[in-house]
Amino acid sequence: MGFRVMPKSAFPGWVEQMLQTYRVVGPRKIRDRYMFDEVNSPGDLDLTYSTTVLPPKKVLLPQHEELLSFDLESGKMEAAIDTQPTVLLGVHTCDLHAIRLLDAVFEDGYADQHYIARRQNVLLVSLECLSPCTEKSFCKSMGTLSVTEGYDLHLTDLGDSYAIDIGSERGQALLELTENAQPATDADYSRLNQTLSDKWPRFPYRLESDITELANLLAVSYDSDLWEELGEKCLGCGSCTIVCPTCYCFNVIDEVDFSLNAGSRIRQWDGCTLSQFAVVAGGHNFRSTNQERQRHRFFRKGKYQMEAYGLVGCVGCGRCAEACLVDINPVDTFNELSRRRIPMTRRHKEVLP
Amino acid sequence: MTQQKPKIAFFDFASCEGCQLTVIDSLQTNLELLNAVEIVNFREAMSEKGQDYQIAFIEGSCSRKSDEARLQAIREQADIVVALGACAHLGGVNAVRNRQPLEDVRTYVYGNKADWYETYPARPISQVITVDATIPGCPIDRDEFIASVKMLLQGRIPKLPETPLCVECKLLENQCVYTMGKVCLGPIVRAGCKAICPSFGDGCEGCRGLVSEPNMESLKQVMAEHGMADQDISHKLDLFLTYQMMNLENEEPK
Amino acid sequence: MTLLKDKIVSSSLYVPVQATIRDIRALTPLEKVFSLTLPDGMLLNHEPGQFVELSVFGVGEAPISITSSPSRSNGFFELCVRNAGDMTGVLHQMKPGDVVGVRGPFGRPFPMNRFLGKDLIFAIGGLGLAPARSVINQVLDERGKYGKVIILYGARTPGDLLFTDELEEWDRRSDVELHLTVDRPAEGWDGNVGVITTLFSHVQVYARNTVAITLGPPVMYRFVLMELLGKGVPEGNIWFSFERRMKCGVGKCGHCQIHHLYTCKDGPTFSFAEIKHLEGAL
Repeated sequence: MGFRVMPKSAFPGWVEQMLQTYRVVGPRKIRDRYMFDEVNSPGDLDLTYSTTVLPPKKVLLPQHEELLSFDLESGKMEAAIDTQPTVLLGVHTCDLHAIRLLDAVFEDGYADQHYIARRQNVLLVSLECLSPCTEKSFCKSMGTLSVTEGYDLHLTDLGDSYAIDIGSERGQALLELTENAQPATDADYSRLNQTLSDKWPRFPYRLESDITELANLLAVSYDSDLWEELGEKCLGCGSCTIVCPTCYCFNVIDEVDFSLNAGSRIRQWDGCTLSQFAVVAGGHNFRSTNQERQRHRFFRKGKYQMEAYGLVGCVGCGRCAEACLVDINPVDTFNELSRRRIPMTRRHKEVLP
Repeated sequence: MTQQKPKIAFFDFASCEGCQLTVIDSLQTNLELLNAVEIVNFREAMSEKGQDYQIAFIEGSCSRKSDEARLQAIREQADIVVALGACAHLGGVNAVRNRQPLEDVRTYVYGNKADWYETYPARPISQVITVDATIPGCPIDRDEFIASVKMLLQGRIPKLPETPLCVECKLLENQCVYTMGKVCLGPIVRAGCKAICPSFGDGCEGCRGLVSEPNMESLKQVMAEHGMADQDISHKLDLFLTYQMMNLENEEPK
Repeated sequence: MTLLKDKIVSSSLYVPVQATIRDIRALTPLEKVFSLTLPDGMLLNHEPGQFVELSVFGVGEAPISITSSPSRSNGFFELCVRNAGDMTGVLHQMKPGDVVGVRGPFGRPFPMNRFLGKDLIFAIGGLGLAPARSVINQVLDERGKYGKVIILYGARTPGDLLFTDELEEWDRRSDVELHLTVDRPAEGWDGNVGVITTLFSHVQVYARNTVAITLGPPVMYRFVLMELLGKGVPEGNIWFSFERRMKCGVGKCGHCQIHHLYTCKDGPTFSFAEIKHLEGAL
């Protein structure tokens, strides 16, 4: 289909047009950090952002979300389905890959109508990354440094203009809100190609194994000494799972008014690295140590999600590494497991019955 | 579920009464509470003093022998006893003195009139009587207080949150105060305060108490790596957590 | 006929249907059986081994195994609930006529068609009898389709034995072999004393044609497994039902995960052959 080119000077006008019809959420600088937040005017946006504390996942799966309201007096019970038309602007490619995983999870089996309703009403405008956002990111190793699908529109910064790839009819319609997006010329093609080829060497490979090897590496590493070492360091603070773009585990609680008969059922984020995550009603904890919880976390990231959905469970954004006070992170963990790799033959001899 | 309005009472021991002020404050936006319960004893807010309550909220630590009888009398009357705030829950700031020889503390505070005042090492009320539920914090969080009362009305016992403060702080997208060169007890302290201190750029002081399985050694190392001397780390942990820390260290009050 | 399952697909999978408590029966001071009816003649249509998500509105939701068998669900179904937590504590205070929420049925049932013609040995501990009863009564209602039926059931004390009326009924049948044991006897108890594995010496089976169904507290499983493997029961014929925190029931919330498996949708029933390589599953 080719791509369009929009001068940066026209960008604010386009966002103004979006704001007429849509809620627009994008990266904003608030005090010293960036966060995805609702935009009231184009000036609120900062597309030069590095990374955010929480991923844009929160637009599709809010931290605290009403699932239903009930009133036992009248017998009324209603699902809370949010269909507000939203443009999610400036999503880095790692986070876009993460959203693809969330889509797979919430569409699988019994579909989650709350997530899907939001998802169907969110237009994704992603943004090509031209340099690593932090020292901790490792998107190139995870294969998330580029995207070919999953967006409605995809922006690449060409200096004084944006190259805009159209990924869907909805995206095309969104772009038609402006008259300033012109079909690309030959010169634009060479500028875009140059930009993409220039960016590649700026990103380091940080993982010593290929992502296709991760599942196998973990399969033989269940009994690695490393888990005990991580367990000793881990504070159990849960930050790693809370800031992760591919984590979606949740808890559900009820809130009532003083009648005690009416209230809401609320979904809120939870995390498998938190101590109470696997506790059942009788009090038994099926993962009772930090060691077991960290291992489960990394197995989800490197193995389980890939096996279940064919998509990477870690997109290399580096947020968990930024958030961890004791420097537990996927790069060092996977690399160390690789160095200590336990031969399958030994595992068969010593571990399996 | 039609039940008679439960009668509730508030009592205070060694404390600043700030938690009871928070209770009064919470009523401003939750007037329905007054239709759901009958308050029969609340020195901070009213002059009547009923003694036929079912739920007792107790603020303050037990800091002298003679308080024990009063606590026991409340326990005998109430079906449910709730510790209100850090002093009742943890011994609070009052327990800072437990690490010093008691005589020195008495002399320091009361000078030559020390003998006039009775005192002993401050302790959580759970060390004196059985406590059914705890609303933590210094002061308590008003929304948590309201939610806890609703749970009691439902016939439930509110439980202390096991989630560490870091979770709440991250959900609010705060910048970690460690990155601003400050230290914080968030990783080992119970959430539920809406991360109010870190949200204003200050590290958590621990007023809501330690989570059940705090990794103390690891956090001490983090604080040391952020430039704190051993002594400063101990002081940081002793503001609200002296009683819990001395328990972990198997240390007896002096 | 409307099925409960279709209901959650139509609006939101998290919105329960409002079921009415038609009867409550106390089995022990801790365990009660709640008999529930769905509105408008709606059917639960469950299979043995499945569970529902039970709500007390305003308090919360928890997974509860279905104790009644599909063969005996005449417009109602039964849940046996221990007063063990927040939600179940409030549930235990409720009265007939009160409304609760139900979603389900969820989970992979026991593969009953693979059990046809087999000798069945049930190894049950404590509250495990609740889900086991669903299977047992289904089998007894189609008795001719199965071989021997051997039931081993252990509880802490005689007072903790559940469904004692039905235990007596099973004991009286000539086509059921029932063995009971308790950890701590009480006055008047003349049966076996000891953990459930002490009952296995009473049991004769043709191992290769035997299916074992094991239901009970996590601590019991390893010991029962050793007995069954010791008797030569094939790995694929040893079945468990796992307890985990199945918060959502549909493989999304993550709490019940065992390695890559979700207990709520891949289980809760698993054969030993399916999970033997998964460390920590048992």
